[in-house]
Amino acid sequence: MTPETRKKIETLFERYPRKRGALLPAIYLTQAEKGYVDREAAQDLAELFEIPPVAVWEVLSFYNMFYTEPQGRHHVYVCTNLSCSLRGARTMLKSLEAHLGVKAGQTTSDGRVTLGHEECLGSCGTAPMLRVNSDYHENLDTDEAKRIVDSLE
Amino acid sequence: MPKITVDGTEYEVPEGKMMLQALDDLGLLLTEIDIPHYCWHPKLSIDGSCRMCQVEVEGTPKLQIACNTPVRDGMVIRTNTEQVRTAQRGVMELLLINHPLDCPICDQAGECKLQDFAVRYGLEHARTRDPRRPAKKGTPLGPTIMLDQERCILCRRCVRFCREIPKTGEIGVFARGDHSLLEVFSGMELDNPYSMNVADICPVGALTTRDFRFKIRVWFLEDRETVCNQCANGCNLYASVAYNKVYRYLPRRNDGVNETWICDYGRMSYRTIRENRLDEPRLGRSTATYSAAIRRAGEGLRQARDSGGRIVGVGSAFAANEDLFVLRQLLDGLSAGPGLLVVPTGKADELLIKEEKAPNAAGARLLGFEESSGPVGPAAVALVLGHALPAEAFEGVETLILIDTHRSPLVERADVVLPARYFAEKVGTFVNHARRIQRFLPVVEPVFECEPEGQVLQRIAVAAGLDGFSGTYDPFEISKRLAEEATAFAGAELGTLDDQGQEIP
Repeated sequence: MTPETRKKIETLFERYPRKRGALLPAIYLTQAEKGYVDREAAQDLAELFEIPPVAVWEVLSFYNMFYTEPQGRHHVYVCTNLSCSLRGARTMLKSLEAHLGVKAGQTTSDGRVTLGHEECLGSCGTAPMLRVNSDYHENLDTDEAKRIVDSLE
Repeated sequence: MPKITVDGTEYEVPEGKMMLQALDDLGLLLTEIDIPHYCWHPKLSIDGSCRMCQVEVEGTPKLQIACNTPVRDGMVIRTNTEQVRTAQRGVMELLLINHPLDCPICDQAGECKLQDFAVRYGLEHARTRDPRRPAKKGTPLGPTIMLDQERCILCRRCVRFCREIPKTGEIGVFARGDHSLLEVFSGMELDNPYSMNVADICPVGALTTRDFRFKIRVWFLEDRETVCNQCANGCNLYASVAYNKVYRYLPRRNDGVNETWICDYGRMSYRTIRENRLDEPRLGRSTATYSAAIRRAGEGLRQARDSGGRIVGVGSAFAANEDLFVLRQLLDGLSAGPGLLVVPTGKADELLIKEEKAPNAAGARLLGFEESSGPVGPAAVALVLGHALPAEAFEGVETLILIDTHRSPLVERADVVLPARYFAEKVGTFVNHARRIQRFLPVVEPVFECEPEGQVLQRIAVAAGLDGFSGTYDPFEISKRLAEEATAFAGAELGTLDDQGQEIP
């Protein structure tokens, strides 16, 4: 953890009645450094929050948006909940897997894309859809999905 | 105080407590009122995760969890209605959905709350056909505990214990929903002086101690009341006994001493009952009979007294008050002056472990034994209980009479050696650091010939030709005399002490 991140986290503390309340935003800040929070970073957080490291890891492992391993430059997450699945999301995900040569949950060897699937992103009316980082791409078909993935740097 | 009605009976309960805690404070839980629970523990914070303790509260449409519902005046609670039973069946079904039914190879079988409640409150068959979620089996969590993740029902008792009691916080529950698993932080171990308590509080077979695991099926064991003798705290214990052997110690609840915990060091000390015991009387370097050794000890004392030689008595902080009382009588009879006392010491903590590493230093002091660490000699005879002093301390002692329970270098130095019964093999009292007098009862029979120190001393006194000794030792009789004579022991008599002990003035 860099001294800058540490300072940012410390300024968060005063916004919460108890220090521990700042853990989620603190994990976001820590993750912003390298794109994931590893064992050492979790230990730094634990020290800062005066809680056992295992308590940090409980929170990290609870949420989908926290990563404990190195991630690709882009997150491509396909929604596979009911509406999207009915509209072909699973086929779309399978063809993206074949296209990128990785399984959902894995990162391409060039570190460009981490592929995954997600439950309901609240975009059922425009199913199927996927998100690239924080951008939604909606009303997709397989070819369009491949085109989007290929356009990523 | 609020009055509540549980299953038709009215109780007055403490104000502002949760239902389970209030009933437990009154000693009603598991005795009169049976509310099944997994995650709630009287000495830990509330989790509310197992949902097993649901009860019906009049005027509340939905069931409430008894562990996290405060009592209020006029509350009417029902614990065994059809609605409650249905909920319990549902909870059991969900708890068992991923549980491997491996009871035949599980060491918790026989003292497993999942087994007990499945029989009492569960369905007869599983209705799910999906495969059970596999997870890690038989993995060490640290030097003392084994984890079986599949069996865990995620009650988090161990998690809360490690964070709240030793405050080491090694364990946590990772991931979410039915992916949740009990784990330690990567690269860390469950390793603290109280770690083995997690196996006691684990309601299922997920956490077991590496020491006791697979040693014996628990239904062969009988839990007998005793106290720990490894430090001045005097934690209350059960000794689990089968075939005249102690297989393990378990904490016995005493809110005035150790609540529901014991340290790992004390827990492992059950081994001292069998290990390294002094098992034969000796005269110098050769084995002797018990009576020959007593005769020789008596003669030594008589000669010393007759010739005006100095006689020194050394008491032991491991000996019972009743034994020490006989030693004091004997020393008085020989006009030998007060007995000496050596108390072994070591590291203490803020929880249970005390600095004095013996159970009865306080009792010995109350009986007039004077602390000393210097040399005992020169003397004609030293009459010594225990081996707290090194052999060098007895330089200049002509005859060393040693009455002891365990082997030590002192045995080689002693002229007369008499094996004594260990505390686990007899009855008596200890006084702990906070002046609580506690009884201990025999949990096993000795496996070789030996007698309580008090008995040995009585026989020695008779052999020495001292007046006022009968040669018999009755700890109950002595305790009665102590309660009458010594003001410190007033009103604290072995025959009337209960299993919680009693504070003395």
